[in-house]
Amino acid sequence: MPTVAAARPTPYTFDIATTVLLVIDMQRDFLEPGGFGESLGNDVGQLRRTIAPLAALLAGVRAAGLTVVHTREGHLPDLSDCPPAKLHRGAPSKRIGDPGPNGRILVRGEYGHDIVDELAPLPGEPVVDKPGKGAFYATGLDALLAERGVRSLLVTGVTTEVCVHTTVREANDRGYECLVLADCVGSYFPEFQRVGLDMIAAQGGIFGWVAESTEVLAVLPSTTMSQPSS
Amino acid sequence: MARIGPVTANPYPWPYDGAVDTTRTALLCIDWQTDFCGPGGYVDAMGYDISLTRSGLPATARLLAHARSLGMLVVHTREGHDPDLADLPPNKRWRSARIGAEIGGAGPCGRILVRGEPGWEIVPEVAPTPGEVVVDKPGKGAFYATNLDLVLRTRGITHLILTGITTDVCVHTTMREANDRGYECLILADCTGATDKGNHDAALHMVTMQGGVFGCVATSDDVIAATAR
Repeated sequence: MPTVAAARPTPYTFDIATTVLLVIDMQRDFLEPGGFGESLGNDVGQLRRTIAPLAALLAGVRAAGLTVVHTREGHLPDLSDCPPAKLHRGAPSKRIGDPGPNGRILVRGEYGHDIVDELAPLPGEPVVDKPGKGAFYATGLDALLAERGVRSLLVTGVTTEVCVHTTVREANDRGYECLVLADCVGSYFPEFQRVGLDMIAAQGGIFGWVAESTEVLAVLPSTTMSQPSS
Repeated sequence: MARIGPVTANPYPWPYDGAVDTTRTALLCIDWQTDFCGPGGYVDAMGYDISLTRSGLPATARLLAHARSLGMLVVHTREGHDPDLADLPPNKRWRSARIGAEIGGAGPCGRILVRGEPGWEIVPEVAPTPGEVVVDKPGKGAFYATNLDLVLRTRGITHLILTGITTDVCVHTTMREANDRGYECLILADCTGATDKGNHDAALHMVTMQGGVFGCVATSDDVIAATAR
């Protein structure tokens, strides 16, 4: 089985057959210049630096035969799945469901809600739509992983301290072994990127492991193993 | 009927809807267990400074008395596992063994993080009174594999005030779960604590970003001051 020796706090071993790559919320609303995230005053460059390494990782894991699962945060057009506390909290310049530069903000089916072109899901790759920060709550993700016998998650996406962290915490409590790829997760805030990754690996890896995507690519088989002939 | 709010909080006056009846608000006391913060518990026995995880106890005890006097719902949680460890994921056990505190193994106050053992009990300063809800959880989050959500919804609870340990691990995980479920959350800086002060501060800071992505931060005095009968 492949082992990522440089992972912290300890080497991370995974079985290709029971591991998926999870790509969290790489959506236009969060990443595109002129999009919702930037309109709130965020520097989308902090997130966009993840696109190139993530595209390379996607190619590598697809070639190795791993399943890729994408997630998107968003709500139904009538906002019936958006809790009032989420919709009305604070005084943002724009709220969920308002018209934005790429359609209604964080509404399913809108252009801005979809995944950036560079990382577009291939036909057949599961895309999990989630109403919250965590990808397990109120979604079919846990069942989807259980059906495939998945035990290990390679975790990528945005943002590190919000949706990535919440999802890793949920996964860890459910017994999944999470390896978070530092160069493939991003935060609008460099301080939270650093501390978010540190928290994962702290206390003996209380939520999981941390490594670089190149260290995973280096140990992946280049093509799907063929069945031995008898 | 008493009401809470608006509480002076960061980043907005809590709650988002101005004020809330105490009948719709619950005080969560997360994992104030001997093994994490009590003298002679395993964190203490491992040589860590438990003053960091104990620092929120006096303020929490004071707030607990206030909440009880108002008749608010109080919910305590305890992290732990069945004696046969059937609900302990193998990777959690492996990692706990690696740092010298294997769950289920012998500790200074009984088997570590096993239900029913002395070290797993809540410390006396904030111990539950008869009739208060106590939720036993196998993970860091208090919602996963527990009846917490059902208990809160059955009581009509919509707003949560969070105390407990540790700030960046069990309190934060629970706050994130609660937030996704639509509860309006307030975490109290003086009623929480972590084994690393930097992680305590960073966890509180994360809450306040992006208009309060998980809710708000305040102190126990802010809550008490914002309560009107």
